[in-house]
Amino acid sequence: MSSTGQGPVIRVDGVGIRFRRNRRGRRSFKDLFADSSRRSRPGEFWALRDVSFEVQPGEAIGVVGRNGQGKSTLLKLVAEVILPDTGTVEVSGGVAPLIEITGGFVADLTVRENVYLTAGLHGMTRPEIDQRFAEIIDFAEIGDFVDTPYKHLSSGMKVRIAFAVISRLEEPVVLVDEVLAVGDKAFREKCYARIGEMLADGRTLFLVSHNERDLKRFCRRGLYLDKGALVFDGPLDDALARYASDHPPRPSA
Amino acid sequence: MSTDLAERPRRSGFARYRQTLWLLTSRDLKVRYSTSKLGYFWSILDPLVMSGIYFFVFSVVFKRSVGDEPYIVFLLSGLLPWMWFNGAVSDSTRAFIREAKLVRSTKIPRTIWVFRLVGSKGIEFALSLPVLALFAAVGGAQLHWQVVFFPLAMVMQTVLVAGVGLIVAPLVVFFRDLERATKLALRFAFYASPIIYGTQDLPEGLHLLAAFNPLSGIFGLYRSAFFPEQFDLTEVLVGGGVCVVVLAVGLLVFRASERAVLKEI
Repeated sequence: MSSTGQGPVIRVDGVGIRFRRNRRGRRSFKDLFADSSRRSRPGEFWALRDVSFEVQPGEAIGVVGRNGQGKSTLLKLVAEVILPDTGTVEVSGGVAPLIEITGGFVADLTVRENVYLTAGLHGMTRPEIDQRFAEIIDFAEIGDFVDTPYKHLSSGMKVRIAFAVISRLEEPVVLVDEVLAVGDKAFREKCYARIGEMLADGRTLFLVSHNERDLKRFCRRGLYLDKGALVFDGPLDDALARYASDHPPRPSA
Repeated sequence: MSTDLAERPRRSGFARYRQTLWLLTSRDLKVRYSTSKLGYFWSILDPLVMSGIYFFVFSVVFKRSVGDEPYIVFLLSGLLPWMWFNGAVSDSTRAFIREAKLVRSTKIPRTIWVFRLVGSKGIEFALSLPVLALFAAVGGAQLHWQVVFFPLAMVMQTVLVAGVGLIVAPLVVFFRDLERATKLALRFAFYASPIIYGTQDLPEGLHLLAAFNPLSGIFGLYRSAFFPEQFDLTEVLVGGGVCVVVLAVGLLVFRASERAVLKEI
């Protein structure tokens, strides 16, 4: 099956966002209510500036760039967990954000309660969760710990259950931010397989990674960010080539 | 396998807002009651102990001239709603900070972070009402028809607490000192509101001023169920107006600062 085919699923138009350079900088009430104008203020920098692109349903997009060039910020903007200072981000349909996936889990509640809580916060109804509960627990391989408080799980189990929940959200857009770097090898492969499965379902994928292999495995289109600007938008191989030529890999130390 | 990707009906924004609000409110209550053995008991023990202390100090030591008989019912009918106000406002100072990870990873409407506190503390208040009823029965307080004002008082208090929370929660993210300032302000508000006394006990010149404290009107409404003379129309009307203004200001502050809050946490 494929998603509803009309129009882009993500539309980012002239987006800019700025942050304070110094977290301890003095701030005033004026800063707090400052209008979101294009003007740059002292002590602030633009993490992203004038970024525009559209994503069609079913596309798989890899975001490349060095650390601190705005990749994760872009992902958070698409997830709508931060808001741009200029421009607009429109995402039609829901988003399954594999960002800080363990964030919603509560230490004192059991795995079962946590699954219902997190899936619910991401918009699933109770009957939908009931239907998928067994599948989620099965995927995370923690069948024996369903009624154990979350805090007593090993860190590997925590990540597994979190990934299992978020990757079962029936949302048309999937955002992945380097979460694949966690877990043991076998589980990582399982995560990859799951992401491939979601893509085959016709979902849109937005992947931030430093790992060329991961990017090439899933994505055909690449966005290359440098110094907060979208420098290149096109086939992934060209984006990677451009990135490599701007930042030649250092001779191995 | 998931094949219902596009067919899944999208629920209305309101239904989703309500579901999320309820999820977080019930999570708060669940966490509280799953981590302590006495659970519910704690939420009523605090006002009970405080009532006991005030009862002793003002009835036995000072030979009080304020409030009505039975004084313990008078005290509780002010203290229990005060616990709601106090708890929700002081928790709202940590509304974003404590939930930073969750705020950073979900895009639920941000006002929910405040409203869930209003809800969970409000539910605790409702659950503590049987205690008030018990003391009223034992203390021989007469129930009057004014008990119908109870829901009105709860609505007014919900509006007020939500408004104050919407102002405090985002500002604390930027000015951490506000957390302590809020605690101090709450302690002041405790004595500036008719809890251990009634507004009639105030000197004549302070009556108008007291009416501008929305808690005067609200507590008066609660109390009129047992003490009809505590009802004061001016206080209720002025207080109701203040509640609405506070909520409006809260919504404005919240909207204006939301963007900056999300960057900060």
